[in-house]
Amino acid sequence: MLDISALTTPAGHRAVRTLRIKDDHLARVLAGEEFLLFDGAMGTQLQERGLAAGEVPELLCLTNPDEITQIHAAYVAAGSEVVTTNTFGANATKLGENATVEEIFTAAVGCARASGARYVAADIGPTGALLQPMGTLPFEDAYQLFAQQVKAADAAGADLFIIETMADIAEAKAALLAVKEHSDLPAFVTMTFDEDGRTFLGTTPEVAAVTLCALGADVLGINCSLGPADVAPLIERMLPWASCPVMAQANAGLPHVHEGRTYYSIKPLEYGQAVRRMVRAGVSIIGGCCGTSPEFIAQEKNLLVDRTPAGRSLNSHFTVTSAQQLVALAMGEVGVIGERINPTGKKRLKEALRTGNHDYVLSEAISQTEAGAQILDVNAGLPEIDEAATLVRLASELSGVTTLPLQIDSSDPVAIERAVRSYPGKALINSCNGKREVLEAVLPIAKHYGCAIVCLTLDEDGIPPTAEGRLAVARKIVAATDAIGIPRQDVVIDCLAMAASTDQTQPRQIVDAIRMVKAELEGVRTVLGVSNISFGMPFRPLVNATFLAACFGAGLDLAIVNPMNERLMDVVRSWRALSGEDESAQDYIARYADRKDGAAASTTGPASYDLSSPGGVSAALSSMASTLQAIAAGTGGLPTQEPDAQAAAAPGQDGSREGRIRDLVLTGRKEAVADEVRALLDDGDPSHDVMYAINQVLIPALDEVGDRFEKGTFFLPQLMASAEAAKAGFTVLRESSAEGGAMASKGQIVLATVKGDIHDIGKNIVRMLLENYGYDVMDLGRDVDPQAVADAVVEHHVTLAGLSALMTTTVPAMAETIQLLHVQAPWCKVMVGGAVLNPEYAQMVGADFYAKDAAESARIAAEVLG
Amino acid sequence: MRVRARLTPMPATVRDIAVSEVDRSEVLRYLGYRGQELTPQLAGRLDELVAHALEVARPRASIRSFDVEARELDDAGTPVVRLRGCALALAGHDVSRHLEGAVAVGLLAVTLGADTERELRRLSLTDHVAQVVFDAALTAIVERAADGAEALLVADAASRGLYTNWRYSPGYGDLPLSCQPTFLAVLDAGRRLGITLTPSLLMVPTKSVTALVGYFGEPQVGARTGCATCNLRDWCTLRARGVTCVG
Repeated sequence: MLDISALTTPAGHRAVRTLRIKDDHLARVLAGEEFLLFDGAMGTQLQERGLAAGEVPELLCLTNPDEITQIHAAYVAAGSEVVTTNTFGANATKLGENATVEEIFTAAVGCARASGARYVAADIGPTGALLQPMGTLPFEDAYQLFAQQVKAADAAGADLFIIETMADIAEAKAALLAVKEHSDLPAFVTMTFDEDGRTFLGTTPEVAAVTLCALGADVLGINCSLGPADVAPLIERMLPWASCPVMAQANAGLPHVHEGRTYYSIKPLEYGQAVRRMVRAGVSIIGGCCGTSPEFIAQEKNLLVDRTPAGRSLNSHFTVTSAQQLVALAMGEVGVIGERINPTGKKRLKEALRTGNHDYVLSEAISQTEAGAQILDVNAGLPEIDEAATLVRLASELSGVTTLPLQIDSSDPVAIERAVRSYPGKALINSCNGKREVLEAVLPIAKHYGCAIVCLTLDEDGIPPTAEGRLAVARKIVAATDAIGIPRQDVVIDCLAMAASTDQTQPRQIVDAIRMVKAELEGVRTVLGVSNISFGMPFRPLVNATFLAACFGAGLDLAIVNPMNERLMDVVRSWRALSGEDESAQDYIARYADRKDGAAASTTGPASYDLSSPGGVSAALSSMASTLQAIAAGTGGLPTQEPDAQAAAAPGQDGSREGRIRDLVLTGRKEAVADEVRALLDDGDPSHDVMYAINQVLIPALDEVGDRFEKGTFFLPQLMASAEAAKAGFTVLRESSAEGGAMASKGQIVLATVKGDIHDIGKNIVRMLLENYGYDVMDLGRDVDPQAVADAVVEHHVTLAGLSALMTTTVPAMAETIQLLHVQAPWCKVMVGGAVLNPEYAQMVGADFYAKDAAESARIAAEVLG
Repeated sequence: MRVRARLTPMPATVRDIAVSEVDRSEVLRYLGYRGQELTPQLAGRLDELVAHALEVARPRASIRSFDVEARELDDAGTPVVRLRGCALALAGHDVSRHLEGAVAVGLLAVTLGADTERELRRLSLTDHVAQVVFDAALTAIVERAADGAEALLVADAASRGLYTNWRYSPGYGDLPLSCQPTFLAVLDAGRRLGITLTPSLLMVPTKSVTALVGYFGEPQVGARTGCATCNLRDWCTLRARGVTCVG
């Protein structure tokens, strides 16, 4: 057997944590057997004592310790068992030069201890900065800020941690990991929700519960923002998904002023009554937040006298989450994992991963989302790239275009750990297997980071040919996951589809294996990459579909498939209708009522479904259809409405195809441009090759666009629409042949918005224009470190770099980047642009060129690269 | 008119600001439009994106006001306006001029919310034309939302018999961005609006505005152009009561 206590992740984090719990009462609280009463607001009490608005309250632990202790003591007198240190904002960033984190926590724990409270909770609030990708704070920097607080509080003698008022699940995750990795004390975590049931960053109570419980929160809950009556329905949504005790610290409503004094809208008695509802529903730890006082705590104390926590019933669904979305499958429900983001056998994807231009990856994510995938597999396994770094970057970029949870697909435990550590949700790891070495490397990652995990039924002896053999490996795997403490519903067994063409006994063995695993290993789930089964056979989609149906019948839970293949999605949807998952087959009927022959119609993409068909669609279904339409419309970026026929019919000035293309570029009709360029190549005239299309047609059209912009007859959106249309033409040329690919590239340019600046619009416009003039643009994004720019330029020996800055505060970062480039890449010319720059400024920061607008940047590129 | 003093500062007040429409011309102005011919196709796309921006934006404001406590010079000789019960010190020649004669100062922070930031990011990855137009639409919307927040301050001033001038933001003139952390803390804008700061003191969500207005004993010349053309009229609570903010 595996020695569970010794297992660590590749980065050295212990998989299993033994808590240091102060006493038996706290142990019973953490087991959900007894109540625990926290305190109420600190800030409100400080303001009543004259704290000036905007002052740093944590400093009072040093300057006025007695006052802080008095506030704690008043809560203890009212019945609080736990007092919370005055350290909400005590991180290195917020404290700045005023005091060290260690000084504040030492003083704050001292103040709390002096109140005579039974337990001292070390308070950890948000950093105040937004994490990447929407903000600029890297996950690991947030983690380091929290780790410093955790170490200081632990050393100062706190009894537990309360991570509170979190709006960002990634930030909550960073804080919780900091506690787990630097202390043995229990971690309580509360997030704060708006009236619409989401945090500022779109996390729901269900997502918070699933993600943070899996990650190892000892207590989970909701605080701040709302009064207790508004918190109650949200906490009721959280309760069935939280496998740990649940806590609530609501506000006392909204503040208002009467005769110069501040009052809150909810009075203590009313507050207590609203909290009672939550206690009855199963909340076992209570206290207060903004506006509450010892009187409120006294009311809550009354609720708990001579009672024990209410019993709770927990869901046992298979779950994974993204920051905004929970995917939950009850036993018997089936799910679809989109397999497209995997470079194996896909030339375009390999190319995208190699060059770091991920547009194609993102478009695959969007189309799979639209086609009905519930989870997206992400694989970046190419020998020539940094797999771990690519996975991390992809996970972040994908979160910009889809809210689907991700399946992190790698055979490298180090890459897996890097990717799931900062992933803002509960990821699915793909994969582990029955080899001892792999179990020891991968299971600790799943346990420590709270992931679900796919486990393949193979071990040191290979893939067993029989169902019994696969079951035996599954048994061994589940013994190991049980031992390390991964819940059964997070364990997903892959019985491995093998080609029927090489061994015709395999399909039955696999189906049997699924049935046996589900029957014997109660609670675990199964997954299968279906398409292997048909390898070497004609008309593979039919075989895949038949096999998938058989597997569903045997109990398969998750299918890894191409969701754009409609035949497979037909099987999924019809199975849901047959199994009862699709209640009364409403979804099925809505989608298929008008279908004549599923097989005959199933050659195209999902667009052939007519979602707008009103025939017999219930209200619920039409709402689903409109959701899908919204997704489709959104990802299309509100496409132009122009029918192609009309565009194609519009004659060019001289009636020629070349003239037509020019007009279509000028009017920004991208679909039509692509069609016409394709037609130009295929018109039988041997002189109409890629070079001709570029130099005689597209570039002159773009030059005309640039001229019009210069003269002011075009404004920005027109310039961009034209550039977009030309790009469609270049894409056709690139894909037409290898020669086209080479010729359509006029050289590489690196672009970045400088460190500290988060405005990327100007840079994106420049990127678009340059791409459409045929340049290969490496877009490093926004807030880019000077060294990262230099590294990219050096690695690819790029001769032109473009830097953008919109704010005066970030111009120094631009100067620093240019200086670094001049030292490390003296061959590279630098052009700069952005709202705050002018020719003099550009010269001052050391740039070679000043681009006053996007059109100018194209002229500069032509000068440097030709 | 007698000016009533306020014993303790009012707490930060948080309100949703309803912005139901913006002028297309305003959005076009941000896009550098100077009367070029708009094809129906482009105009339609613009309108769709503006409608989409109005749908995604959730304008919310926090406001708070403080009496002026003192005017002094700091060590470098820069004039500073200090506020009673407030750690925010307003340092700079320009802001001091803006507040010359003011008896109190109203502060506001307004944001369109993280959903707008997420949608901008999605468009930056998928559709650059849409991103540019959507961004311009949001800029127009957040200015409207700031108008709405300013109207709350006008009403607050009026309740004390005071008159406001116009809004002035950190980063204007010589009022440094370094006052942003305290500015946002005073308004509890992190917790209540979800506004965060980058190390270079830019706000995220990027479609956020902080600003201040002076409260004066007398109507301010040039502050308001009259109700018919006032930017704040959609949110004005004074007109409904049959009074105006200019006395």
